Amino acid sequence: MSTIGARGQAVIETVPARDGHPAVIYRHAGDRFLLVEYGEMTLDLTINFRILGFNEELKRQGLRGLVETVPALRSILIHYDSTKLSTSDLIAALKRLEEKVPTAEHLTIPSRIVTLPIAFADHWTRANVEQYVKYVRKDAPNVVDGYNIDYITQYNGLRDREEVITYIMGTDWWNACLGFWPGLPFMFPLDPRYAIVTPKYNPTRPWTTEGAVGIGGPCVAIYPVDSPGGYQLFGRTIPIYDPKQRSSAFKENPILLRPADRVRFTRVTDDELDAIRRQVVEDRYRYQIEDGALNVREYIDFVKSVKGEAEAFRRRQEEALKHVMIP
Amino acid sequence: MLEVLEGGLQTTVQDWPGRQGYLDLGMYPAGPMDMRSFRAANLLVGNPQGAAALEITAGNFKVQFTDRRAVAVTGADMQPTLNGRPAPVWESFAVRGGDVLALSIVRGAGFRAYLAVAGAVEVPEYLGSRATFTVGTVGGFEGRGLKKGDRVALRPAGNVDAVLGRRFKASAVPVYEREWEIEVMRGPQADPDYLTGEDMEFFFSHPWKVDRNSNRMGVRLESHKWQWARRGGGIAGGHPSNILDNGYAVWTVNVCGDQPIILVADGPSLGGFICNATLVYASTWKVGQLAPGRDLIRFKEVTITEAITMARAVDQTLSEASIEGR
Repeated sequence: MSTIGARGQAVIETVPARDGHPAVIYRHAGDRFLLVEYGEMTLDLTINFRILGFNEELKRQGLRGLVETVPALRSILIHYDSTKLSTSDLIAALKRLEEKVPTAEHLTIPSRIVTLPIAFADHWTRANVEQYVKYVRKDAPNVVDGYNIDYITQYNGLRDREEVITYIMGTDWWNACLGFWPGLPFMFPLDPRYAIVTPKYNPTRPWTTEGAVGIGGPCVAIYPVDSPGGYQLFGRTIPIYDPKQRSSAFKENPILLRPADRVRFTRVTDDELDAIRRQVVEDRYRYQIEDGALNVREYIDFVKSVKGEAEAFRRRQEEALKHVMIP
Repeated sequence: MLEVLEGGLQTTVQDWPGRQGYLDLGMYPAGPMDMRSFRAANLLVGNPQGAAALEITAGNFKVQFTDRRAVAVTGADMQPTLNGRPAPVWESFAVRGGDVLALSIVRGAGFRAYLAVAGAVEVPEYLGSRATFTVGTVGGFEGRGLKKGDRVALRPAGNVDAVLGRRFKASAVPVYEREWEIEVMRGPQADPDYLTGEDMEFFFSHPWKVDRNSNRMGVRLESHKWQWARRGGGIAGGHPSNILDNGYAVWTVNVCGDQPIILVADGPSLGGFICNATLVYASTWKVGQLAPGRDLIRFKEVTITEAITMARAVDQTLSEASIEGR
């Protein structure tokens, strides 16, 4: 039952899950936006795969009155002109598309592989953490030996910081969506055996250097600009946002990463990173980007094949949690 | 050319509706905080309503012109003067090369004024728009607010005399207040699943004070102890305001922990907090005129049908039908 036009209702309609399709909730977000939510409040990458596939199809349709869309983890925010496209016509079009777009396991999603150099425990982000301890919170439990990596180690029950690094390098990172700051990716591990997690800073950190890489909850982010932040820092990479569009990688778009990209990290030293960053500025660096695709069926089979190991790691994390302080 | 003699608190080049189509990459649209006064200023000088013009926050802005132009000042009353003598508001008038237009500090209700110049302000387009996006430091004039010594180019003016003395009918000029009623639609995340019915009743009845710490990214309201309809945020975090990150509608009320913040022109595009109400298109302009640390607002719930009627009515006031004079 639709409640369009009713007072006191944020939810317009709920469509229950069926035949491999997750439940859908249509919510008013003012008279120019519609929020479409899928499935439960859980982290399920297959829902995000379907959303990104659906989003591509929706954009291709060129619906009159549709302005833009914002796909996220388990939702799509739709910006539309309600004086040209009524909410009920929009929802009807979305429902028709739900029928047309196959369920996640039948999708193959165009997905680039972007390889980024990373310096772990680099001196730039170490300075951010040092400042935090000096000016914001002296007794922050998430700062161990002046940095966040050893805390990530403890929180996940790993051996040492080298093992944390192995875990971060061991998986491709799925960019589920971009936002908050221009170009900031929200990335999740495609290999559940390496799904490390951490709580966020409390209070937040006033300084984070551009290019810093950190983790909050299960999500890894790269900071596109110098900004405040709440994620546990573990390294620094090269620029992913160039507002002035100076180097060729940013000629067409000031933002490097797109939804559905897979990011792979390759380890470098601070000095090497410094040299590469200089090359970026002088436009002598070629960003390593390969076209590719993610076959969801194969991915689901892969996740099944490593289920035992992934669960073993989860148990190890739960055990470790009993002995760790939360910020 | 415009030569900036005093930049004021924050004066930016904007266009309307700002930068569309980059929300999925993390860019809010920027554009004017008060689209109504902005478009009115352009209408008065014969520009397309979305043409690049200046947004002046709180006042203390002074410019010198280098050629003859029709200009118009709208929005909050900052007692504009031309070469020291009072200049009209909500009415187009002529300036000559060497003339100095000065806006003093805002007096009375309202917070932002708009200055449109016939022909429009000329700055490079950035991703399809000339609007200044302060967070990304892009667009507008070098991605920043104007300051003393800046020389801002103007596009060719056309026939100046044809648009002089055009003024808004008094009935079409918006009324600014110290206590505002702002129309919103409930949701996307409200009651009964996130907040309680009582929480929403409080939200719609309480006079919310606009926090001093408000700007083009967010307009902060005071914190409140919400009852919440659930204990925590589950996988998304410990607090019941936490959700798995989703896109934020522009002009939505984001409940960040206990504090509601209206996300405005340069806000964050995506995040992990609920939004319990969203301003309707026709009410967004009021946010641009809220004085931080002083004004009070009450939220009034409307349906989408009412919102669409209101949208058409606001757009109607921004047409030749509202103009008289000449």
